[in-house]
This record gives sequence, structure tokens and C-alpha cells, in this order.
Amino acid sequence: MWQKSLDHQNLSEEEEKRALAKAPSLRFRFILAGVLVIGIIAGLAINLIFDYSQKLADLSYDRLLRSALLQIDENVSLIRNEVSIDIPWSAFATLAQADEDRVFYKVESLEQGFITGYQDLNSTPPKPPVLDQIQFYNQEYSGELVRFAWLERSLTDPETSQTVRIVLGQTRLSREAMSTAVTQRAVEVVVFIALVALTLIAIGSHLVLQPLHRIERALEERAMGDLTPLDINTPKETHHLKVAINHFMARLQTNLEQLENYTADAAHQLRTPLASLKALAENARDNTSADSSSPQAQQQALENIVKQCDALSQTVTLLLNQAVVSHRLQTHRLEPTSLLEPIRASCRAQAVTALHQGVQLSLDCDLSDAVVLGDSFSIQQMMQNLIENAVRYSSLGMNNATEVIVQVSEFERFYRIRVIDYGNGIPDIEKSRVFERFYRGRYDIAGSGVGLAMVKDIVDHHSARIEILDTYPKGTTFQVDFAKFMFDEDTV
Amino acid sequence: MRSVVVFLFSALSMMPFKVWAAEPVWFGNANAPRVLAIDSAMDLASFEPILKAFVALHPDVRVVYRDVNTLELYYLIIQEQKHPVASLAISSAMDLHLKLVNDGYAQTYQSDFTDNLPDNFKWRNQLFAFSIEPIVMLVNKEAFPGELPDDRQSLLQTIRQNEKTMTKRIGTYDIRESGVGYLLASQDARQADVTWGRLLEAFGSHDVQTYCCTHDIIDDVASGKLVLGYNLLGSYASQRARDDSRLKMILPKDYTLMLMRAALIPKGAPNAADAGVFLDFLLSDQAQKMMQNQGLLFPIRPDMNNANDPYVVSAPGPTGVIELDQQLLVGRDYAKQKRFIRNWEMALEISSED
Repeated sequence: MWQKSLDHQNLSEEEEKRALAKAPSLRFRFILAGVLVIGIIAGLAINLIFDYSQKLADLSYDRLLRSALLQIDENVSLIRNEVSIDIPWSAFATLAQADEDRVFYKVESLEQGFITGYQDLNSTPPKPPVLDQIQFYNQEYSGELVRFAWLERSLTDPETSQTVRIVLGQTRLSREAMSTAVTQRAVEVVVFIALVALTLIAIGSHLVLQPLHRIERALEERAMGDLTPLDINTPKETHHLKVAINHFMARLQTNLEQLENYTADAAHQLRTPLASLKALAENARDNTSADSSSPQAQQQALENIVKQCDALSQTVTLLLNQAVVSHRLQTHRLEPTSLLEPIRASCRAQAVTALHQGVQLSLDCDLSDAVVLGDSFSIQQMMQNLIENAVRYSSLGMNNATEVIVQVSEFERFYRIRVIDYGNGIPDIEKSRVFERFYRGRYDIAGSGVGLAMVKDIVDHHSARIEILDTYPKGTTFQVDFAKFMFDEDTV
Repeated sequence: MRSVVVFLFSALSMMPFKVWAAEPVWFGNANAPRVLAIDSAMDLASFEPILKAFVALHPDVRVVYRDVNTLELYYLIIQEQKHPVASLAISSAMDLHLKLVNDGYAQTYQSDFTDNLPDNFKWRNQLFAFSIEPIVMLVNKEAFPGELPDDRQSLLQTIRQNEKTMTKRIGTYDIRESGVGYLLASQDARQADVTWGRLLEAFGSHDVQTYCCTHDIIDDVASGKLVLGYNLLGSYASQRARDDSRLKMILPKDYTLMLMRAALIPKGAPNAADAGVFLDFLLSDQAQKMMQNQGLLFPIRPDMNNANDPYVVSAPGPTGVIELDQQLLVGRDYAKQKRFIRNWEMALEISSED
């Protein structure tokens, strides 16, 4: 039997929708991660651009400022031992390229003092003054931040020597405008690239998940009962998923086939006794109509029918029990339970039947208690099958096997149950096959062929161990070991 | 108060000058709730119709108009920087106005009208030109000896050929008193240094007469006291030449200077809002058309459809438009100005104590 989900019922559409809404979205996470990463990168890029555009604007406009300063400088001279300056129109024409920027300047000599320009202008540069070396710096003047170029130069003629200092400044409007223009364009490009990247991520995530949707659709569109492998082209990344699904379906197929076989065999099991029952009944009817029959013969015919009915009833019970056990194994949790209870119960139940068949069933147990983790009903079914099996094979043939012993013994970590018979035994080659479903060693013996298979199921479910041993001098011993239930282990 | 003003002016300027004589003139409804004070270096005759049209359009504004010499106007604005009286200052001395803006005495104004103004007619959205006019020579046809000059070279020739007639009969600005006079002289020197030097020499050797104001020169040319006025504002000259058949306005063929009249709103102006409205009006089609059609001024945006309109400048030679940008500061450089005026005084044999 296969496992079923415990609450296996068809979800309503609304519930499915709710579940879908609750489920985390892979695509959303993917896009979110993309947005974060790209956002950070774009932020950094824009930050860099801001810095860069400022530097670029200063670089460009500082050239104008330098040019104007040098033009002024060229027109400084010593006339009659006095510094004379004639500011050239072209110097300011150069500065006028920065359309809207105010211009401030001052020319002074260290010896002569103020010569021309704006007298209140601070002409001390931020860095230590070096002759003939132009300095650029920003300084507040007339309520605005002004970019200044500063130059100091010594003028000499044979009679005198003076140090002339020229400061020329212009406001930063054009620089700001230029850096803003550069920044704006660059930011536009960065934003554009970021948007493209995000779009690609969105499309990419869609494409990546596309094969999953294809598999999903292929599964949804399957005809009922179609368990053939998926045959759609999928990329490498989803190949394993496809393979896993195909493996799963193959297993499902095997299970289904087993079920089909089981159903067919079960039907077969029921049909044979039914057919023989019918035959017996017809026989009895014919005997009745033929007056020649004796009351003994009639009596015999009726006996046969009753026997056959018993056999049929047993088979049906067995099948039912198996169904019940199977269901219990799937649905009931294992609980600490006494091992002896079901053993005693099944021995009691089987004792009379065994005796009818000339077999004496004895229970050899001196334990007062034996607790294992298990299902009492299932263990009882297991014992019943084992005992039935032993009794059935004991009374077979010409031998004198008249005893079946059920033995329970205690070991350090487990309890051992032995069901010992002295029948013909099972040949070694069959030992491995007796647990197969519907395998019957001998078809001349009544039996469904499912009993031992059920035993194996129950044993497996309890994580117990079953072994088939030979009884000395002859016969078979089924030996089942159940792990002890440890209180301390469980409570820890 | 007035003496204090004079003292301040003297302290600020390099030379003494007279305080304005003109009394303020009021326009508009006496009960109007708002007052707009305009200081302007512009003859009222050219401006009156525009002011009247403005108060007609804006009955809730009363305009008080004060005619001030260009140089006085410059110092007045600096002196009143804390509490300006005028909300709008109009001057033809573009350089002084530009220097005021550069030095931070003006406030920014922006409107649809100023936005429509081409970039070379405004600066920093603080200085706006509304009129551009040629700088001309005005001659008295009857008094002028020989052929009328069409450029500076021919003027020089006439002076040399008619030394007696020309002595004391040429008039021009006193560049020490008139801001616009200085501007025009410095632009002459910039445009053609050699010609300017010869002209100055000729003026000096023929006792050129110096004046503070254009209309005084024009008056004397009209009366025949002068035969020629040099570097006069085209708008005033053309008005008088139109009405007086003796006068002829000449646009020099070698180059014709083009001068803008510009307006600014001083920082902290008491009524900057109405000053802006008035500025918009000056730049509006209505005022620009008035300037052109009534022959008041040369509009900055002339209607080119009127062929042969005297108020659309058609100079016979190249025009030297005085650009409204930072270059104007060079002319007003302290050292340059001092040297230029000293050279001028020396050439004209005027002592600076005069």
C-alpha cells in the first residue's frame, strides 16, 4: 500500500487561491534582490557623477579664469617706479563666456598697496603663497560663493622691485549649470540602464520560471491515468526536476500495477471458492432430485457446502483484516502497548481451531510484561497469521507434527517471538519468496497467499525484524524481534 | 540732508558734481493706493507718454518720476542701498548699471516678458535693456562750414580745414560728470584708439565745449552756438532733428555705437512688485510700439514691417553694439578710469580742479 496525505481532500478553488497568495514568490524575491543591488550600484554611480561633474566644471571654467588672469598679468608693468595696470577688454571678454557670472578682482602690490579693483576683497590665498604659481579656491564674497584665481609676481626694473598680487574671481553659476547639465545627462543614462537591467531581470525571471510552468501545464493537461514519462524539452536547470517527476511517476505506476494485480488476485481468490461452492450446491441439488441418493450423501453434500462457506468466510475475513490493518498502519500512530496481550488473545482464538486439526498450540512465556511501541490490533493480526500458517502446515501430510509452540523471550534490547512448527519446513529457495504477495508455496493447501505478506507489512511498519529458521529436526520457525519500548529514551 | 548727500557723493566719486535739479513728477490718480518711484536718467519728454499709458492701464498705481544724471543715479543707488527710495532705476550708462548688478545692488526679476528678451539684452535677470539706440553726431546745417561729415575722419578734416569756425563750436559730454558720456568715450577709445586720440587732440586744440546732458548740447546746436554735437543719444537727436529743419542727425559711417537703455530693480526696493509690472510694460508690445510710432525711443524689439522708419536703425556703416556683459566692468576699472579721465583732461587742457 502507499502513503496518502492525512487530510486528503480536494481543496476548493478559494482555498487554493488563498494558499497561492500566502506562498512566497520566487520571482518577487528575485526582482527585489535585483532592485536592491541595481539601486545601490546606481546610487554609487550617481554619487560619483556628482563629484566628477563638479570637478569637470571647475576644470573647464578654471581655464577661462586662468586665461583672464594671465591677460591681466601681462598688462601689469612698472612705469616711473609705480605699478601700472591696464586691464585688457579681452580678459573680461574671456570671463563673459560665463554669461551670468559676476566678476570681482583686485590688484595690489605689497609695497604700494591697493592698485585697482575691489578694495575689500580678501587677497590672502588659503595655501601659502608661492610666486608665479596660480592658486584656485572658493571663497565667499558679496553674498555669493566665488571661485578665485590668485597670482603673485615680482616686477623688477633697474631701480625698483615690487611684488604684485592679482586676485580674479567669478561666481559659480555657470559651473553649477554645467555640472548640473553633466550630472543630469549622466543620471538619465544611469537611470535608463538601471531600468533596462530591471526589465531584463523581470523578463529573465519570467523566462527562468517558464520551464516550470511548462512542466506544470504538461502535468495538468495529462489524461487521467497517464503515467508515461514527461517528454518535453526543458533546460538543464529543470532537467533534474523532470527526471524526479518521471521517477516518481514510475514508482506510482509500479504501485498501481501492484494494486491492479492485488485486485485481480483477490477477485480470483474469491471466484475459486465461489465456483466450488456453486458446484457443491448444484451437486447437492442433483442428489436431491435423484431419488437414489441416500440421506448420508445429502448430509455429506451439505457438510461440504458449509465447509466451503467457512473457507470463503475465512478468506473474506483475511482480506478484510488486511484492509483494516493496512488502514490502521497508515492512519494510527504507534503507541506503547503490551506485546503479550495480542499474543495471548490470538493464541486463545486459535487454540480450538488448531485442536480441530489435531494440533496442540502452546504458549511458552514467563514474562509478566513486555511493552513495545506498536499497534495492538496489527500485532494480533500478525500473530494470528503466523499461528494459522504454522497450524496449517503442521497438519499437512503424513507426519506426526501435532504441536505448534509460541515462544516469547526477553533480550537486552528486544523481545523475541518465535512461532515453531514441526511440519515439513520450507525449502531454502522459497524462504525468500514466502513474503511475496499471493505467493503460495503449495496450491493444494487452502490459503489466500496474502497472510505472510501482511505479516511482513506489519513487521516493517513496526521496524521489527523477521526471520525464517528451520526447526530441528524438521519444520519451520518464524522469529520476530520487537525493539523494547524505552521510557527514558522516549521522554528525553 | 542734501549737503550730506553731496559730501557722500564727493567721497565716493573722484570728482564733484551737481546734485540733480529736477523735481519729482507725479503721474496717475492722486488717490491710488500704491506708489511706484522711478529714478531715471532719461528726458521726461521721451518718457512721459509711456508713463501716462502705464498709469492709465494701472489706475491703482501712482508713479513718481525723478530725472537723475546717470552718474548721480549710480551713487544714489549705492548710497540708498539700505533703504532705496526708487523701485526702478533706468539708465543709459549701461556700464554703471552693470557694475551695480555685479556688485550686488540689484534684485532678480523674472516674467514672461523678460524671458522673451534675448540673452544679450539682459544680464543675470537683474538688468534689462528695453531700448537700443545709435550714438550720433548732430549738426546745424546752416552753421556748418562745408560738406556735412559722414564719419569721424571727415569730421577731423572739416575741423582742420575750418579751424576758426570750429573753435568752441563743438560740444560733447563732460565724461567726468556724465556716466553715459564716459561710457561712450571709453567705447570710442576701445573701438578705434587712434581715431579717438586724434579726435581728442582736435577737440582739445579747438576748445571743445563739455556738457552734462544731451539736451543742453542739442539746444546749443539748434541755436547755432555749436555747429556740431558729438556722441549724442540718437533718440533725443532724432526727435529734435525731426522738428527742427536746421538740424541733421548723422550716423557715423566708420562705425556707429549702439547703446542700450537698461533698467534694474534695486535690492530692497519698496515696491518691487509694481516695478516688475512696469518693466513688463516697457517690454510689452504696446510700449515698444509707442516708442517706435511716436518717435520716443528706439525700441529693443522694433517692428521691422515699417519700411524707412527712422526709429529702426539703419546705420550706413558697421554698428558697434555696446555689449551688456562683464566687459563693461573694464571701462569702469578704477585705474583705467582714472587714467582715461586724466588723459581726457590733459587732451582737452582742462585741469581736474575745474
